[in-house]
Amino acid sequence: MALAFDEYGRPFIIIKEQEQKARLRGLEAQKANISAGKAVARILRTSLGPKGMDKMLQSPDGDVIVTNDGATILEQMDVDNQIAKLMVELSRSQDYEIGDGTTGVVVLAGALLEQAEKLLERGIHPIRIAEGYEMASRLAVNHLEHISQKFEFSVTNIEPLVQTCMTTLSSKIVNRCKCVLAEIAVKAVLAVADLERKDVNLELIKVEGKVGGKLEDTELIYGIVVDKDMSHPQMPKRIEEAKIAILTCPFEPPKPKTKHKIDIDTVEKFQTLRQQEQKYFDDMVQKCKDVGATLVICQWGFDDEANHLLMHRNLPAVRWVGGVELELIAIATGGRIVPRFQDLTSEKLGKAGLVREKSFGTTKDRMLYIEHCANSRAVTIFIRGGNKMMIDETKRSLHDALCVARNLIRNNSIVYGGGSAELSCSIAVEAAADKYPGVEQYAIRSFAEALDFIPMALAENCGLPPIDTVTAVKSQQIKENNPYGGIDCNDVGTNNMKEQNVFETLIGKQQQILLATQVVKMILKIDDVITPSVY
Amino acid sequence: MAAMLQPQIILLKEGTDTSQGKAQVVSNINACTAVADAVRTTLGPRGMDKLIHDDKGNTTISNDGATIMKLLDIIHPAAKILVDIAKSQDSEVGDGTTTVVLLAGEFLKEAKPFIEDGVHPQNLIRSYRTASSLAINQIKEIAVSIEGKSLEEKKSLLAKCAATTLSSKLIGGEKEFFASMVVDAVLAIGNDDRLNLIGIKKVPGGNMRDSFLVNGVAFKKTFSYAGFEQQPKKFVNLKILLLNIELELKSEKENAEIRLSDPLQYQSIVDAEWNIIYDKLDKCVKSGAKIVLSRLAIGDLATQYFADRDIFCAGRVTEEDLQRVAAATGGTVQTSVNNIIDEILGSCEVFEERQVGNERFNIFNGCPSGQTATIVLRGGADQFIDEAERSLHDAIMIVRRALKNSTIVPGGGAIDMELSRYLRQHARTIAGKSQLFINSYAKALEVIPRQLCDNAGFDSTDVLNKLRQKHASGEGANYGVDINTGGIADSFANFVWEPAVVKINAINAATEASCLILSVDETVKNPKSESAQGEAAASAMMGRGRGGPAFRGRGGRGMR
Repeated sequence: MALAFDEYGRPFIIIKEQEQKARLRGLEAQKANISAGKAVARILRTSLGPKGMDKMLQSPDGDVIVTNDGATILEQMDVDNQIAKLMVELSRSQDYEIGDGTTGVVVLAGALLEQAEKLLERGIHPIRIAEGYEMASRLAVNHLEHISQKFEFSVTNIEPLVQTCMTTLSSKIVNRCKCVLAEIAVKAVLAVADLERKDVNLELIKVEGKVGGKLEDTELIYGIVVDKDMSHPQMPKRIEEAKIAILTCPFEPPKPKTKHKIDIDTVEKFQTLRQQEQKYFDDMVQKCKDVGATLVICQWGFDDEANHLLMHRNLPAVRWVGGVELELIAIATGGRIVPRFQDLTSEKLGKAGLVREKSFGTTKDRMLYIEHCANSRAVTIFIRGGNKMMIDETKRSLHDALCVARNLIRNNSIVYGGGSAELSCSIAVEAAADKYPGVEQYAIRSFAEALDFIPMALAENCGLPPIDTVTAVKSQQIKENNPYGGIDCNDVGTNNMKEQNVFETLIGKQQQILLATQVVKMILKIDDVITPSVY
Repeated sequence: MAAMLQPQIILLKEGTDTSQGKAQVVSNINACTAVADAVRTTLGPRGMDKLIHDDKGNTTISNDGATIMKLLDIIHPAAKILVDIAKSQDSEVGDGTTTVVLLAGEFLKEAKPFIEDGVHPQNLIRSYRTASSLAINQIKEIAVSIEGKSLEEKKSLLAKCAATTLSSKLIGGEKEFFASMVVDAVLAIGNDDRLNLIGIKKVPGGNMRDSFLVNGVAFKKTFSYAGFEQQPKKFVNLKILLLNIELELKSEKENAEIRLSDPLQYQSIVDAEWNIIYDKLDKCVKSGAKIVLSRLAIGDLATQYFADRDIFCAGRVTEEDLQRVAAATGGTVQTSVNNIIDEILGSCEVFEERQVGNERFNIFNGCPSGQTATIVLRGGADQFIDEAERSLHDAIMIVRRALKNSTIVPGGGAIDMELSRYLRQHARTIAGKSQLFINSYAKALEVIPRQLCDNAGFDSTDVLNKLRQKHASGEGANYGVDINTGGIADSFANFVWEPAVVKINAINAATEASCLILSVDETVKNPKSESAQGEAAASAMMGRGRGGPAFRGRGGRGMR
């Protein structure tokens, strides 16, 4: 806060703890903000594209994460600067909305800021720049719509969807088996999708991982995998045509919620109590048997006595299954969750074709597969991999792929990747810039330049000469008037992305441009930063 | 206060800081000007935002005068008055908070040379008061009424007012989109005074244009128990039961204890408890409602029970949301499940659970009373959505004020220029000192168009001269700053409109505040309380220490 002085030249104190607050104003504030934003973008720049590198992040308590996903990197970096935090949120909201392209959006925002800095140095009003950017972003978004293509797919023809998911996965560590993973992701999404309403609830897809095995062993199970085993080691490991009782009550004598006490004053009473308890166990097991259940899945534990009894009566059971999993099992098997034994009826049982316990390698870990369910509206993707970091990264990559598939179901338009869409937009925006009078024209042109940054970064990360490559592709795009020319990252030999089958979703790309512009506008509009100078 | 030869008479506690006289008035004015400078750059469509980061780590990016003033945490006693007027403007009309601070600052600045020259502050105050009442009368005369227009016409007029407010905000790029949304929302709730009937929900992610208006209620999916996903997620033409009770298996009385002497009775107690909850659930189902909402928890048992019977339920719905559902659907919130009759059930046309960004939302559409609206805001960052919410709040207030007091004035500094011209003209008819004072009041009003130009980077002197000439010619009353070209334009024809009440309130509040500050000629500041003595003493050495809160009321008591 600028100090005010009174008639004797003594300073006033207007703001509380004024001397402890730092303040930046005007151009200085904008410059500082821009450089903070750029710094964040610079970190992510090398993660872009199929040849992008991963980052290793260690959290304060020693957990290590290796990832290539922009949103995850920024989340874990724990940045302190306010503007950098905005960039983190930018990538997070891309993650929420689209699920993919979280690196690209930050790189684009960084490029826009860098361009804005140049304009600011020329003395252009920051809001005019922001307005120009906004016009340009609208142009770009419209142009994307124009060059996009509709992708026809059906439940039987999933090839186009798989191709798009593969583009997403190719930049991740798992690109070795992107084909398998892409197919799994697409099938999983289609299994839970409501094609009529174009709604996909990703919560119905359970992603489970287990260390060990190869990445290639990753599989899609039309059913549920639970990280649990049978409650008694001697219970059958394989049940066909299972009828499942899904219980949320423990195999224990029921307890009233009200505080209670039983006064036992004679031996007889104790005997009755004991008998009653035993009768409870007996009744419970009998009840399950009566309705025809061949498997009991229980949210709570059971008494050893119950366990023994279940074993004895030849009724396999699983205990301590979490609420979410229980729900998924209920959905998958078409059963109902039963809160007490009295309510158990044969209609409420879930049905599964096969329930089996599977053990892995030499470890004693066992998992329970519930397959061939009556209703396959809940599926599980079961990931295998060499180490925990790998599995976590695969989970994140698959999440991206699932989101892409979901977006395509919502809106089946695609654009071509490899930087071709950005280049095409850049050309279109630059051409349109000349039509705008005033200062905005400069901003629009800068926007076009910023769009070139993405193919540039792609080329750089692939070890290609960035300027040569980008200019060559750009001129080719203009000359041949095809918007499909991109960066040939994998050295396939052609830079026609249509032939390379590199796709991205239209809404993902549009969202990137709009979000980046929005945040850049917000940053440009700040001319006064008041912070406590000591943290 | 230097040591004197005479024995010192100590009246006040040691460390008390007093200053009085002309110097005090001037120093107060300086402080207020400094504060006004802080918000100066946020005015108008080319106004900038402030990023304020407090010690708790919260960051706010805002363009709203009241918000900034609140967050600045001002402790200077005189400057605090400016915070208060910004707040009062905010609660009274919702918009124009920057304007009011700026005007007050400018009035004081104009008064300063007079004070320094030895004019009695009361003289100034009297003239300022006259000038303000003259100005307000003039506003009322100029203002154009939109009463008696058809609904369609009114809608577009209101949208214009909302767009003027929004143009200075971060979401200015989409002002038409949001203006029509705001107008629809305000018209939906009709004449009802309760502002909380318009809900604003924030969902990070997505683009501004993905924001949407629900003609009913929308809220985020509440915490759910196992079994929830098995409930149907879409209904058409349904009944809604609203509750304020827990639907959970629990002990009925906190401190009750049951003592059994016969173990055989054990089961009956267990059964009794289950019967209580089943009885409740059964009554809910029998009522015919397809949706059960409760402010308190709906347990897993109930969730599964409802899932079994194809009923949707949501527990722990916030009070505010539940009230809005009640208002929208015409239902009443029940505290018991006994005696549920048809009349107390709400109804609505479509209910759906839908994915919005990363969240799932429960959306009630087509409610019979139509007395609520919900705006679901989308945006790239939390701060962005927060600021969008504040901006929409302003716009909503403006539209509501415009609906009630349906007179509008041209914006873009046009009305301020016109008032200034009018006052200058009036001043010439007055004999005596007052002429000067009213003239300076008139000059102070020009600060609005001047600041608009400054913020946009135009030559303010140039534009102001053009405006003065235009207004003086008699037919240019509606001319204001043209923010796009840097020239002047007819604000009225360009649809830059503001409700008259905003301006009236701003001028009133600013005049009141400046008169108040001018009339203070002494400040007595008590030393800080014992605990913070050391710190306070240190700062008192360098001048005015940090004082305890609110002592201006006690100002005169100290020495007299």
